Amino acid sequence: MKFRQEWLATYLPGEPPPTARLRERLTAVGFVVETVEGDGPSAVLDVEITANRPDAMNHRGLAREAAVALHREFRDPEAGRPVPEGETPVAALAKVVVEEPTLCGRYSARVVEGLRVRPAGAAVGERLAALGAGLISSPVDATNHVLWDVGQPLHAFDLDKLAKDADGLPTIVVRRARPGEKLVTLDGVERTLAAEHLVIADAKRPVALAGIMGGLDTAISERTTRILLESAHFDPGVVRRGARLLGMHTDASHRFERGADPEATVEGLERAVRLIVADGGGTVAKGLIDVRRAPRAARTLVLRMNHLHAFLGIAIPPARCEEIFEQLGFRPVPVDGTLRVAVPSWRVDVEAEVDLVEEAIRCEGYDRLPETLPAPYVPAKDRRAFAFEDRVRDLLAAQGLLEASTYSFVSEEENRPFEAAAPGAPVVLENPLAEPFSTMRATPVIGLLESARHNVRRGNRDLGLFEVAHAYGRIGTAGPLEERIREERRVALLLTGRRRRHWSETPAEVDFFDGSGAVTALFRGLALPDPAFEAAALPFLAPGRAAAVLAADGARLGWVGVLAAPLSAAWDLEDPVVADLDLGLVARRIPPPPDAVEAPPRLPGSEVDLTVTHALSVPWRELASRVRDGAPPELVAVEAKGRYRGAGVADGFVKTTLTLRFGSPSRSLAREEINAWRDAAAARLLALPATKVDGIPAPGA
Amino acid sequence: MAGTSVHLVDERLAAFRGEAAGATSVPAVQALRVRWLGRSQGAVTALLAELRNVPKEEKAAFGAKVNALKAEVEETLKRLEAAAEERARASAEAARAVDVTLPPRVPAVGRLHPLTVVRRRIEDAFRALGYEVADGPDIETDWYNFEALNFPPDHPARDEVDTFFVKDGGTGRDRLLLRTHTSPVQIRTMLSQEPPIRIIIPGRVYRKDAIDPRHSPVFHQVEGLTVDEGITFSDLKGTLAAAFRQLFSPKAKIRFGPTFFPFVEPGVEVAVSCVFCDQKGCRVCSGSGWIEIMGAGMVHPKVLENGGIDPERYSGFAFGGGYDRIAMLTYGIPDLRLLFENDVRFLDRTW
Repeated sequence: MKFRQEWLATYLPGEPPPTARLRERLTAVGFVVETVEGDGPSAVLDVEITANRPDAMNHRGLAREAAVALHREFRDPEAGRPVPEGETPVAALAKVVVEEPTLCGRYSARVVEGLRVRPAGAAVGERLAALGAGLISSPVDATNHVLWDVGQPLHAFDLDKLAKDADGLPTIVVRRARPGEKLVTLDGVERTLAAEHLVIADAKRPVALAGIMGGLDTAISERTTRILLESAHFDPGVVRRGARLLGMHTDASHRFERGADPEATVEGLERAVRLIVADGGGTVAKGLIDVRRAPRAARTLVLRMNHLHAFLGIAIPPARCEEIFEQLGFRPVPVDGTLRVAVPSWRVDVEAEVDLVEEAIRCEGYDRLPETLPAPYVPAKDRRAFAFEDRVRDLLAAQGLLEASTYSFVSEEENRPFEAAAPGAPVVLENPLAEPFSTMRATPVIGLLESARHNVRRGNRDLGLFEVAHAYGRIGTAGPLEERIREERRVALLLTGRRRRHWSETPAEVDFFDGSGAVTALFRGLALPDPAFEAAALPFLAPGRAAAVLAADGARLGWVGVLAAPLSAAWDLEDPVVADLDLGLVARRIPPPPDAVEAPPRLPGSEVDLTVTHALSVPWRELASRVRDGAPPELVAVEAKGRYRGAGVADGFVKTTLTLRFGSPSRSLAREEINAWRDAAAARLLALPATKVDGIPAPGA
Repeated sequence: MAGTSVHLVDERLAAFRGEAAGATSVPAVQALRVRWLGRSQGAVTALLAELRNVPKEEKAAFGAKVNALKAEVEETLKRLEAAAEERARASAEAARAVDVTLPPRVPAVGRLHPLTVVRRRIEDAFRALGYEVADGPDIETDWYNFEALNFPPDHPARDEVDTFFVKDGGTGRDRLLLRTHTSPVQIRTMLSQEPPIRIIIPGRVYRKDAIDPRHSPVFHQVEGLTVDEGITFSDLKGTLAAAFRQLFSPKAKIRFGPTFFPFVEPGVEVAVSCVFCDQKGCRVCSGSGWIEIMGAGMVHPKVLENGGIDPERYSGFAFGGGYDRIAMLTYGIPDLRLLFENDVRFLDRTW
């Protein structure tokens, strides 16, 4: 918000403050001066006025703060100056009816007759131009000047355009709009009104949107000679809702929404009338129309000095507090170790003791606060979930993957194929930044695909990425948050490009087993038993190269696989391998660290191979579990040694060589018993249909 | 014939020496051994057989000579064998020699994202001061994100936060939105835990900002909350100073400037002395010597009440700021978008 230095200085008697000092001190008390244009009296300061301080959104208000900050006197030279009045009583010229006293607490008005509409005088014109306000005509510019001077929004009606009531008087009615009522506002736009809108109407129709903008029909024109000047106070909520419904934001609505001074209507009116008469002549009707609810007593708050001390950690002497409050326009009275403080009507933000504490320390200066630490208490416990997620990150980075960070929303189209991976139905934004960001992702894999595409397009095609992030789903439409939205912590992986990249090796592209391997390595890092991979049909993964990741207890923790071909094409990628695990489910299964460790056996184990020819439809998992089920405890591991398809193996069949490792902590194993165990395992394998084991006769053969 | 036999031995010795000189390979040395020490055909065996034909008076001399020869042959063969084996080993090694300057086979080196690294540093700084990590959902209700934090409905302070809303997300206090700050977790924590409370809340937040080098609709904040009996405004200053000293530099100073956030009173803008120029003035601090780093303040009594905490008995402070910005400052990252693009040339470095 812009302020002119010369204008501020009219409220600071004596030598005008140097611009740099003014800038520094205003910033120190909470009015950050962002830029200064020019220097000296005509300098324009751009000041950030926070939403809680509508009282400082005008020159007088900010000057009051400047006075406190600069330890100077504040004086209002205009205060109490009389308005020259004519003979005609205002009651004979116009009438005001407030039908909504709770939404319009006060409506003050004056009438000026015999006016000649001219451009505003040079002083007003220069000030408004410096703030970037357009110049219109003396009466309108006078109202704008008052707005920037003391913060009271005003509106000037052409009295002769206001419809008359049955008693023949131009009439102002403050009422709610009737649904569908229309009003062309000053900006030339026809507005259709709703019951939420508060309007200023004449005897027939709305003539202004209360607190927002006047109507075009009743506006001041060059031919206007009689005006009715409105200076009212409107409820912040009704102005805000009304303005938002119409997508409007004006200087007036900005102030009313934040809270104008309910006691300033008459003062604003008087200032405007003086300016209008000075610039355009005319006679002010005698008296004032002032429709108001009973004036509210000033709010009185109690500041306990011991509370101030306890809250801040330092004391501010009561006399200094009194001085600060007086300078800010409050009326403090010391009572028994407290200050009883009457709050000025313009300080709508000061509602409680804590607000007084802030005023005191803000003006005293935050530099006075010492640096202390709260007393120590319970040592912090580590929250396991966070430690766990960071461990997952470390383990994946240790596998050679790069951690990514992607947006939580994706486009509807990107999300759709992955809907089956989401914790619920799609969560769509009502007001996305743009379509690519409309839908909360079903899986963080989508972001990794986007990142992979970015990299491949820049010539980096060998990628290993991961992200620990949320997936979102809608699970209901009513009730508490937890019954409507489900967020799951996931870890997503993406591998693409070459696995072997050394000049000495034949290049190989990553495939499904790199994905399942990365998942397995993560599980081992987390002290979990190796996961099982079970063929799964997922719409976004290539059929036959997709698996569910199962925990040892059979629970489904996520999925891994090669991206389905149409999606790979859509993302400009070649067969990327992707995976997604629910970290909540994984975390729940992490075993405690070991509490008793057996030394590894000293004796070397023995191994023996079995070569099995079996149907392709028999999964490795089936072979391995047949070997394990019924084996003695000496069977330590079952490993896949090799797979062969081709000459000598019938179509639809494959030769798998398994290595069985045996060992015992207490004794060395005899070749004969190992062979017997091998033969028993072979017999279990032979129970599979159409299966042969090399060197072992088929049953019944 | 006297002396002839002895002469014969000398001749054989000379012959051996001649042959030995040429035997460098393992097979040549093996052949030499067979030729000279072979049990049946070996030259030394033949010489010993010759003993029969040597006149009696020469037998002793001949025998001694032959023994000396045998010793030399054995000695020489042993030496030659060792040398040949050594040579064979060397040449086998030479055959396996590599150009050590060729590119190595480097196992993939993974990296953590700079946001993870910065978040951990912040967590560590506060953990040292007794803080625990807490979190909450990204998708929040209006009540937790605004109303409980003293942003009443229709309050203009809401205008300053451009909020994403969820379609069909309900109305009023139940309306679903993407949290615009991590502050809802303050309320969630206060409602679920008795004071004393000391938490920090790192997390994702969302604001409807257009994407440019300094803005992103998705960014990360870390929020802190302390609630206990007797917590003072000076404690806020001391806590932040201690954390910043650990995070940035032992010389870091902090400065409070008044500002407004609905959920704290008083509210302050916190600046830290520029650690890049020691407050001499640089581009990072725009010459001011100070970097505005977060907002903070004393928890508003209404917020304590909304969290089920008696503001007459307890007081507290809260602070929060974007750590994407701290990452950018710390590492001199020129463009916020780099943090979300995941270009491997950006990611693949140690932070």
